[in-house]
Amino acid sequence: MVHQQQSTPADPDAVLRALADPHRREILRLVQRAELPAGQIAANFSLTQQAVSQHLGVLKQAGLISERREGTRRLYSLRHEALEPVRLLLSEFWPDALGRLKTAVETADPRPPTRKS
Amino acid sequence: MSAEIRNDVILATERIKAAPEVVFPYFTDPALIVRWIGSRAEVDPQPGGVFCLDFGEVVARGVYITVEPPSRVAFTWGIPGDDALPDGGSTVDVVLTRDGDDTVVVLTHRGLPATQLDNHRAGWEHRLAQLGAAAG
Repeated sequence: MVHQQQSTPADPDAVLRALADPHRREILRLVQRAELPAGQIAANFSLTQQAVSQHLGVLKQAGLISERREGTRRLYSLRHEALEPVRLLLSEFWPDALGRLKTAVETADPRPPTRKS
Repeated sequence: MSAEIRNDVILATERIKAAPEVVFPYFTDPALIVRWIGSRAEVDPQPGGVFCLDFGEVVARGVYITVEPPSRVAFTWGIPGDDALPDGGSTVDVVLTRDGDDTVVVLTHRGLPATQLDNHRAGWEHRLAQLGAAAG
Protein backbone atom coordinates (compact mmCIF):
# COMPACT_ATOMS: atom_id res chain seq x y z
CA MET A 1 0.00 0.00 0.00
CA VAL A 2 1.27 3.46 -0.85
CA HIS A 3 0.47 6.01 1.78
CA GLN A 4 -1.10 9.03 0.22
CA GLN A 5 -0.80 11.58 2.97
CA GLN A 6 1.92 14.18 2.92
CA SER A 7 5.14 13.38 4.77
CA THR A 8 5.12 14.41 8.40
CA PRO A 9 8.23 15.66 10.21
CA ALA A 10 10.67 12.79 10.63
CA ASP A 11 10.08 10.68 13.75
CA PRO A 12 13.45 9.12 14.70
CA ASP A 13 11.82 5.77 15.54
CA ALA A 14 10.01 5.64 12.20
CA VAL A 15 13.19 6.66 10.40
CA LEU A 16 15.22 3.96 12.16
CA ARG A 17 12.61 1.33 11.37
CA ALA A 18 12.53 2.46 7.75
CA LEU A 19 16.32 2.25 7.54
CA ALA A 20 16.40 -1.25 9.02
CA ASP A 21 15.89 -2.87 5.63
CA PRO A 22 18.52 -3.36 2.92
CA HIS A 23 16.10 -2.76 0.04
CA ARG A 24 14.94 0.52 1.48
CA ARG A 25 18.53 1.65 2.07
CA GLU A 26 19.26 0.80 -1.56
CA ILE A 27 16.23 2.84 -2.69
CA LEU A 28 17.55 5.79 -0.68
CA ARG A 29 20.93 5.47 -2.38
CA LEU A 30 19.20 5.52 -5.77
CA VAL A 31 17.21 8.66 -5.05
CA GLN A 32 19.78 10.59 -3.04
CA ARG A 33 21.08 12.53 -6.03
CA ALA A 34 18.39 12.19 -8.66
CA GLU A 35 14.62 12.30 -8.60
CA LEU A 36 13.40 8.99 -10.03
CA PRO A 37 10.05 7.52 -11.10
CA ALA A 38 8.84 4.39 -9.28
CA GLY A 39 9.30 2.24 -12.37
CA GLN A 40 12.94 3.17 -12.73
CA ILE A 41 13.52 2.46 -9.02
CA ALA A 42 11.81 -0.93 -9.34
CA ALA A 43 14.00 -1.81 -12.35
CA ASN A 44 16.97 -1.99 -9.95
CA PHE A 45 15.43 -4.79 -7.91
CA SER A 46 14.21 -8.33 -8.42
CA LEU A 47 11.22 -7.41 -6.27
CA THR A 48 7.68 -7.04 -7.57
CA GLN A 49 6.48 -3.53 -8.34
CA GLN A 50 4.05 -3.94 -5.47
CA ALA A 51 6.85 -4.73 -3.01
CA VAL A 52 8.81 -1.70 -4.20
CA SER A 53 5.66 0.42 -3.78
CA GLN A 54 5.35 -0.82 -0.21
CA HIS A 55 8.96 0.13 0.53
CA LEU A 56 8.40 3.56 -1.03
CA GLY A 57 5.34 3.93 1.20
CA VAL A 58 7.35 3.15 4.35
CA LEU A 59 10.09 5.58 3.33
CA LYS A 60 7.56 8.30 2.54
CA GLN A 61 5.70 7.70 5.80
CA ALA A 62 8.98 8.07 7.69
CA GLY A 63 9.61 11.33 5.86
CA LEU A 64 12.75 10.00 4.20
CA ILE A 65 11.58 10.60 0.65
CA SER A 66 9.29 13.09 -1.01
CA GLU A 67 6.86 12.24 -3.77
CA ARG A 68 6.02 14.57 -6.66
CA ARG A 69 3.51 13.93 -9.41
CA GLU A 70 4.38 14.77 -12.96
CA GLY A 71 1.55 13.80 -15.28
CA THR A 72 0.85 10.14 -14.57
CA ARG A 73 4.29 9.55 -13.09
CA ARG A 74 5.29 9.79 -9.45
CA LEU A 75 8.82 10.98 -8.84
CA TYR A 76 10.73 10.25 -5.65
CA SER A 77 13.72 11.95 -4.08
CA LEU A 78 15.60 11.76 -0.77
CA ARG A 79 14.75 14.30 1.93
CA HIS A 80 18.23 14.77 3.37
CA GLU A 81 16.88 16.77 6.30
CA ALA A 82 14.94 13.70 7.51
CA LEU A 83 18.21 12.08 8.53
CA GLU A 84 19.15 14.90 10.84
CA PRO A 85 17.02 13.81 13.86
CA VAL A 86 18.51 10.33 13.60
CA ARG A 87 22.02 11.73 13.50
CA LEU A 88 21.22 13.78 16.58
CA LEU A 89 19.61 10.82 18.32
CA LEU A 90 22.63 8.67 17.65
CA SER A 91 24.97 11.42 18.73
CA GLU A 92 23.18 11.56 22.10
CA PHE A 93 22.69 7.85 22.66
CA TRP A 94 26.20 6.82 23.67
CA PRO A 95 27.12 9.90 25.72
CA ASP A 96 23.85 9.42 27.65
CA ALA A 97 24.60 5.72 28.13
CA LEU A 98 28.19 6.37 29.25
CA GLY A 99 26.89 8.98 31.68
CA ARG A 100 24.67 6.28 33.21
CA LEU A 101 27.63 3.87 33.24
CA LYS A 102 29.67 6.42 35.19
CA THR A 103 26.84 6.81 37.71
CA ALA A 104 26.33 3.04 37.99
CA VAL A 105 30.02 2.33 38.59
CA GLU A 106 30.66 5.21 40.96
CA THR A 107 27.60 4.49 43.10
CA ALA A 108 28.02 0.71 43.05
CA ASP A 109 28.50 -1.48 46.07
CA PRO A 110 32.31 -1.74 46.37
CA ARG A 111 32.13 -5.53 46.68
CA PRO A 112 33.31 -7.20 43.51
CA PRO A 113 30.45 -8.35 41.29
CA THR A 114 29.53 -11.98 41.48
CA ARG A 115 30.15 -13.56 38.14
CA LYS A 116 27.50 -15.84 36.80
CA SER A 117 28.70 -19.05 35.29
CA MET B 1 31.58 13.61 28.82
CA SER B 2 31.93 14.43 25.18
CA ALA B 3 30.76 13.13 21.85
CA GLU B 4 31.05 13.94 18.21
CA ILE B 5 30.02 12.59 14.86
CA ARG B 6 32.82 12.71 12.38
CA ASN B 7 31.94 11.37 8.96
CA ASP B 8 30.27 8.09 9.83
CA VAL B 9 31.85 7.51 13.23
CA ILE B 10 30.33 8.39 16.57
CA LEU B 11 32.92 9.00 19.25
CA ALA B 12 31.97 9.27 22.92
CA THR B 13 34.26 9.51 25.93
CA GLU B 14 33.72 9.38 29.68
CA ARG B 15 35.97 9.48 32.73
CA ILE B 16 34.95 7.16 35.57
CA LYS B 17 36.29 7.15 39.11
CA ALA B 18 37.16 3.44 39.25
CA ALA B 19 39.82 1.11 37.90
CA PRO B 20 39.39 -0.54 34.48
CA GLU B 21 39.05 -3.91 36.29
CA VAL B 22 35.91 -2.54 37.96
CA VAL B 23 34.47 -0.93 34.82
CA PHE B 24 35.10 -3.77 32.38
CA PRO B 25 32.48 -6.22 33.74
CA TYR B 26 29.83 -3.58 33.00
CA PHE B 27 30.28 -4.63 29.36
CA THR B 28 30.22 -8.39 29.95
CA ASP B 29 28.10 -9.22 33.01
CA PRO B 30 24.33 -9.08 32.26
CA ALA B 31 23.46 -7.98 35.80
CA LEU B 32 25.87 -5.05 35.53
CA ILE B 33 25.09 -4.19 31.89
CA VAL B 34 21.42 -3.52 32.68
CA ARG B 35 22.43 -1.07 35.39
CA TRP B 36 23.34 1.40 32.62
CA ILE B 37 21.94 0.21 29.30
CA GLY B 38 18.88 -1.80 28.24
CA SER B 39 16.35 -3.55 30.44
CA ARG B 40 17.53 -7.09 29.79
CA ALA B 41 20.84 -8.42 28.52
CA GLU B 42 21.74 -11.78 27.06
CA VAL B 43 25.46 -12.06 26.51
CA ASP B 44 28.16 -14.62 25.92
CA PRO B 45 31.30 -12.52 26.36
CA GLN B 46 33.76 -14.22 24.07
CA PRO B 47 34.63 -13.51 20.43
CA GLY B 48 31.67 -14.70 18.36
CA GLY B 49 29.44 -14.87 21.43
CA VAL B 50 26.03 -13.21 21.41
CA PHE B 51 25.53 -9.64 22.61
CA CYS B 52 21.84 -8.84 22.90
CA LEU B 53 20.22 -5.91 24.67
CA ASP B 54 16.48 -5.58 25.13
CA PHE B 55 15.31 -1.97 25.37
CA GLY B 56 11.63 -2.87 25.55
CA GLU B 57 10.40 -1.72 22.14
CA VAL B 58 13.73 -2.17 20.43
CA VAL B 59 16.29 -4.96 20.63
CA ALA B 60 19.92 -4.43 19.73
CA ARG B 61 21.66 -7.61 18.67
CA GLY B 62 25.18 -8.49 17.67
CA VAL B 63 28.20 -10.53 18.65
CA TYR B 64 31.33 -9.79 20.59
CA ILE B 65 34.35 -9.27 18.39
CA THR B 66 36.97 -8.53 21.01
CA VAL B 67 36.94 -9.33 24.73
CA GLU B 68 40.23 -8.31 26.33
CA PRO B 69 39.72 -7.56 30.04
CA PRO B 70 40.20 -5.00 31.37
CA SER B 71 41.14 -2.80 28.45
CA ARG B 72 39.11 -3.49 25.34
CA VAL B 73 35.76 -4.85 24.27
CA ALA B 74 34.14 -4.62 20.85
CA PHE B 75 30.85 -5.93 19.53
CA THR B 76 28.64 -5.62 16.50
CA TRP B 77 25.35 -3.79 16.80
CA GLY B 78 22.23 -4.31 14.73
CA ILE B 79 18.53 -3.67 15.18
CA PRO B 80 16.48 -6.63 13.93
CA GLY B 81 13.26 -5.42 12.37
CA ASP B 82 10.94 -6.84 9.75
CA ASP B 83 14.06 -7.43 7.73
CA ALA B 84 17.00 -7.37 10.07
CA LEU B 85 19.62 -4.73 9.94
CA PRO B 86 22.40 -7.27 9.65
CA ASP B 87 24.56 -8.01 12.65
CA GLY B 88 27.89 -6.56 11.78
CA GLY B 89 26.28 -3.64 9.98
CA SER B 90 27.72 -1.48 12.70
CA THR B 91 30.49 -1.94 15.23
CA VAL B 92 30.99 -0.59 18.74
CA ASP B 93 34.56 -0.49 19.99
CA VAL B 94 35.31 0.37 23.62
CA VAL B 95 38.78 1.08 24.98
CA LEU B 96 39.34 1.44 28.74
CA THR B 97 42.50 3.30 29.69
CA ARG B 98 43.78 3.63 33.23
CA ASP B 99 44.53 7.21 34.26
CA GLY B 100 45.63 7.39 37.89
CA ASP B 101 42.72 6.00 39.92
CA ASP B 102 40.30 6.64 37.05
CA THR B 103 39.34 4.94 33.82
CA VAL B 104 38.89 6.86 30.62
CA VAL B 105 36.32 5.13 28.41
CA VAL B 106 36.54 5.85 24.70
CA LEU B 107 33.69 4.41 22.64
CA THR B 108 33.50 4.53 18.86
CA HIS B 109 30.48 3.38 16.89
CA ARG B 110 31.09 2.85 13.19
CA GLY B 111 28.96 1.90 10.24
CA LEU B 112 25.48 3.02 11.26
CA PRO B 113 23.01 3.00 8.40
CA ALA B 114 21.79 6.56 8.87
CA THR B 115 25.30 7.88 8.61
CA GLN B 116 26.22 5.57 5.74
CA LEU B 117 23.80 6.99 3.25
CA ASP B 118 26.13 9.56 1.78
CA ASN B 119 28.58 6.82 0.97
CA HIS B 120 28.61 4.50 -1.92
CA ARG B 121 27.70 0.86 -1.43
CA ALA B 122 31.43 0.14 -1.37
CA GLY B 123 31.47 1.82 2.02
CA TRP B 124 29.34 -0.96 3.48
CA GLU B 125 31.33 -3.70 1.83
CA HIS B 126 34.57 -2.15 2.99
CA ARG B 127 33.23 -2.00 6.52
CA LEU B 128 32.04 -5.60 6.45
CA ALA B 129 35.45 -6.64 5.16
CA GLN B 130 37.06 -4.74 8.03
CA LEU B 131 34.69 -6.47 10.41
CA GLY B 132 35.54 -9.86 8.94
CA ALA B 133 39.24 -9.10 9.33
CA ALA B 134 38.68 -8.02 12.93
CA ALA B 135 36.61 -11.10 13.69
CA GLY B 136 39.10 -13.41 12.00
